Amino acid sequence: MKIISALTWLLVLGLASCASGDYRLFHPVNLVAGVEWWSTLFEVGIMSLIIVPVALLIVWCLWRYRKGAGAAYDPEFTHSLVLEILVWGVPLIIVAICGFVSIRTIHAVDPYSPGVLAKAEAAAAPIDIDVVTTDWQWLFIYPAQHVASIDEMVVPQGRVVHLRLTSTSVTNDFYIPQIAPMIDIMPGMRTEDAFDAAKLGVFTGFSADFSGAGFSWMQFATRIVPPADFSSWVARAAASPNALSYGAFTKLAQPTVNEGAKISYFSAPDPQLFDKVVMAADSGVVYPVSNELTRSVANLEIGPAKPTGAATK
Amino acid sequence: MQVAIEGPWSPLFGRLTLDAIPYDNPIIIGTFAFAALAGLAVAVPVLYYNKLGYLWREWLTSVDHKKIGVMYIILGLVMLFRGFADGMLIRTQQAIAVGPTSPGVLGAQHGFLPPFHYDQVYSAHGTIMILFAATPILTGLTNVVVPLQIGARDMAFPYMNALSLWLTTAGAILVMLSLFIGDFSAAGWVGLIPLTELPYSPGVGVDYWMWAIQISSIGTTLNAINMIVTIISMRAPGMGWFRLPVFTWTTLSTNIIGLTAFPVLGAALALLGADRYFGAHFFTAGNGGNLMLYTNLFWIWGHPEVYFLVLPAFGIFSEIIPTFSEKPLFGYTTMVAATFAIAGISWTVWLHHFFTMAAGPDINGFFSLATMLVGIPTGVKVFNWAFTLYRGRLTFSVPMLWSLAGLFLLLLGGITGMMLAIPSVNYTVHDSVFVIAHFHCMVLLIGAAIFAAVAYWWPKVFGFVLDERNGLRFFWSFILATAVVFLAMFALGFEGETRRLDYIYDPAWRPMLLTEETGMGIYCLSIFFFVRMIYVSLRDRIPVPADPWATSRTLEFLTASPVPFYNFAVTPQVNARDELAWRRAHGLERAQPQAFEVIHMPSNTGIPFIIGMLSLGFGFGMIWRIWWLAGFSLLGIILAVIIRSFDKNLGYELQPEEVAAMEHNLATAGMFAEQPARIQLTEAEAH
Repeated sequence: MKIISALTWLLVLGLASCASGDYRLFHPVNLVAGVEWWSTLFEVGIMSLIIVPVALLIVWCLWRYRKGAGAAYDPEFTHSLVLEILVWGVPLIIVAICGFVSIRTIHAVDPYSPGVLAKAEAAAAPIDIDVVTTDWQWLFIYPAQHVASIDEMVVPQGRVVHLRLTSTSVTNDFYIPQIAPMIDIMPGMRTEDAFDAAKLGVFTGFSADFSGAGFSWMQFATRIVPPADFSSWVARAAASPNALSYGAFTKLAQPTVNEGAKISYFSAPDPQLFDKVVMAADSGVVYPVSNELTRSVANLEIGPAKPTGAATK
Repeated sequence: MQVAIEGPWSPLFGRLTLDAIPYDNPIIIGTFAFAALAGLAVAVPVLYYNKLGYLWREWLTSVDHKKIGVMYIILGLVMLFRGFADGMLIRTQQAIAVGPTSPGVLGAQHGFLPPFHYDQVYSAHGTIMILFAATPILTGLTNVVVPLQIGARDMAFPYMNALSLWLTTAGAILVMLSLFIGDFSAAGWVGLIPLTELPYSPGVGVDYWMWAIQISSIGTTLNAINMIVTIISMRAPGMGWFRLPVFTWTTLSTNIIGLTAFPVLGAALALLGADRYFGAHFFTAGNGGNLMLYTNLFWIWGHPEVYFLVLPAFGIFSEIIPTFSEKPLFGYTTMVAATFAIAGISWTVWLHHFFTMAAGPDINGFFSLATMLVGIPTGVKVFNWAFTLYRGRLTFSVPMLWSLAGLFLLLLGGITGMMLAIPSVNYTVHDSVFVIAHFHCMVLLIGAAIFAAVAYWWPKVFGFVLDERNGLRFFWSFILATAVVFLAMFALGFEGETRRLDYIYDPAWRPMLLTEETGMGIYCLSIFFFVRMIYVSLRDRIPVPADPWATSRTLEFLTASPVPFYNFAVTPQVNARDELAWRRAHGLERAQPQAFEVIHMPSNTGIPFIIGMLSLGFGFGMIWRIWWLAGFSLLGIILAVIIRSFDKNLGYELQPEEVAAMEHNLATAGMFAEQPARIQLTEAEAH
């Protein structure tokens, strides 16, 4: 038992280090993430109403009815109609409350049309961005602004952002903690996501669903900037000498590990690019990852060179 | 019909070349050396004491449900250790490979496992822990206990029982082989689609994963049939449905799930196999394939599988808590109803594993509510256990401690599970390590139930005490390790860390990752205590009476310890729900039968073992595309089945005087005793 007590301090130490972390989920910065965080707190609160008393009941029983404590012993106590009604009834009520909240919040944060953003969308037209994942990079296409970027998504503050997402190869999962809910990205299919760019700042986004050897290096920067800065960013990207035709894209989509998530810009993306990617995957176009390639991801020196002349920030 | 595959192929060796043996990787060579030493540690004593014949006659060819159960559990424990070693590698890699400046060795830029190796390790960890550790151990426990609890001689189909074991073993051997010959799947234990398709996984890894699961799941399905038939038709006289022990009830419900769910997995894997071997397009992204179809099929099996594992765990708690509270279970009828409610609902919740698929609010809403409904019967169970403790007389033995720890893990897993059932919460933590921490609460609850069950039934089955001193140390260190590792993991989930990262790009996560690594060290300590517990018990072998706990309530504690191979000298007449408690109350627990009768026993047979090994050959041949090996193995299996069908195998009879002699000297009938050759019945005698 000495060893055990000697080890218990480690638990304390572990809990103490909780204070050190950067708990992104505790700090939502927009309406969508706010609802999600509120749902989390509400659920924990409601569930605590049942979990905490039950835990205390068990602990109390363990102490009170330990052998030799001299408490009342009643081996006949095996059935009680009142208690039976209670043990079914209480969980039923808790589940009913949680279920009600669940259904309400599903619509509030529905990735396809979040109820919570309805007002903001009415105030200012949403900005559309098409997201394409390759093995293992993020391509953001701005159809209205006619620019595209790799591993960087810039959005103007105060606007609602509508995303359409697809993948060239395997399934990924789009996620920006504090901002945008997770949504699967599947080849040959289109999904949607939406969030409001409420607060200035840089937020890391990433794939949450494993997509192969380069997965751990698959992040992108989300920069929420003042509207004026957005315009200048668009202008800079539009000045890139690299136009993103479908042909250029197919080179870009070859398996590549972008270590450090280096950013590139493209001008004049093919206006049909997103739909072409979806249709290509549908008709059987794949970007194979050979065993050789998977093995050599270890030293990250692999993949074709970046499309020649890509402007790198 | 064969699809184009990467790399060389020859008719004799298929895809197998010398390159497939990773002799340049020191980790794998080290593992191989360890495995070889462990193998020698078993093989040398067996050969030295000339016990090869004993091993073959009494174990490998055995159809005794207890021996099969024990072999299932040994297989599961070996795989549990392998799965833990994988977990250790994962945690250590993540503790080292933090930030762009972190060091790298052994060909990895960061840490010591490059992605192609790391991805195999975590895929193997999940596959092994669920399918080759938890499933066989629980199957083993139900095998040992259920026939005894219902007063049966054996399972309904003893031969099929042995076959189930050896098919599962063949699957487990395939997983182990992938360590030393070729690669394992690098696409997650769930087989992330379309990553498992040929363009993205051109090697043999996915094939290893696919065939290992396919072969072992046939074994699990057969075992489910066997269990259901046994429980329905082999109960002792007087044991009506509402006298069944709750563990037997949960075994019945779990095997109904198993029988209906495992074929779905088999079908999904077969269709994936069609894609990989014949170039079909069931689950490809293009050409008319539907990749989400695979995900649906997988979880239509995968979620019931969770309950397949957790229901027997609940059954174990329902046996142990009354025994050590010296009280019957509170609310028996409700408990049975809750069990079947959970089993029923388990079929309607699978989509909650991919709420982020964008199925729309109505579909997500349905599956959210369905998932929450599970909370009701589960809550009922927790209340019933709590009220069983109420006004009891509690003894905190090792099995009781494990069961109580399991209750607290269930509460923590429950509150986080309800969070995950709400899509708006799920969207922030799905695919994060929060989910990992949640389901480890649930699987460690199953782990706690397993260790509780081993401690509870060990003295019964083997007839000697399981060392309590080291048992307590094992318990406390294991629980402490669990708290350290998984509380830190919950915290990391809130910090935004996702699953399956080989390289940790955010250095802010380092403190928690190091905390987890500390917890893993404590787990290592707990393994040491576990091994010492087994060693001390085997060394001292302190004999126990028929009811080692003196307060047990069910039928299995009525027969002698160690349990004779024929289970009960005379089939007991059941008078009450808790038969042994009833007999104790009426002063009948030591009553001996006045006369013995002839006992008809099944004969041992080597055919299940042979079929198992041929399945291994078939799987290996298919994985490496060595068609002749696969073909001949399949032919061999068919021949073995035909030969068996002509073997009348009518079993043998134990004469009353022999039973009486063994009842006097129990060691001669116990688990380790060697039985003399007995004459098989002739057809004339049988009629």
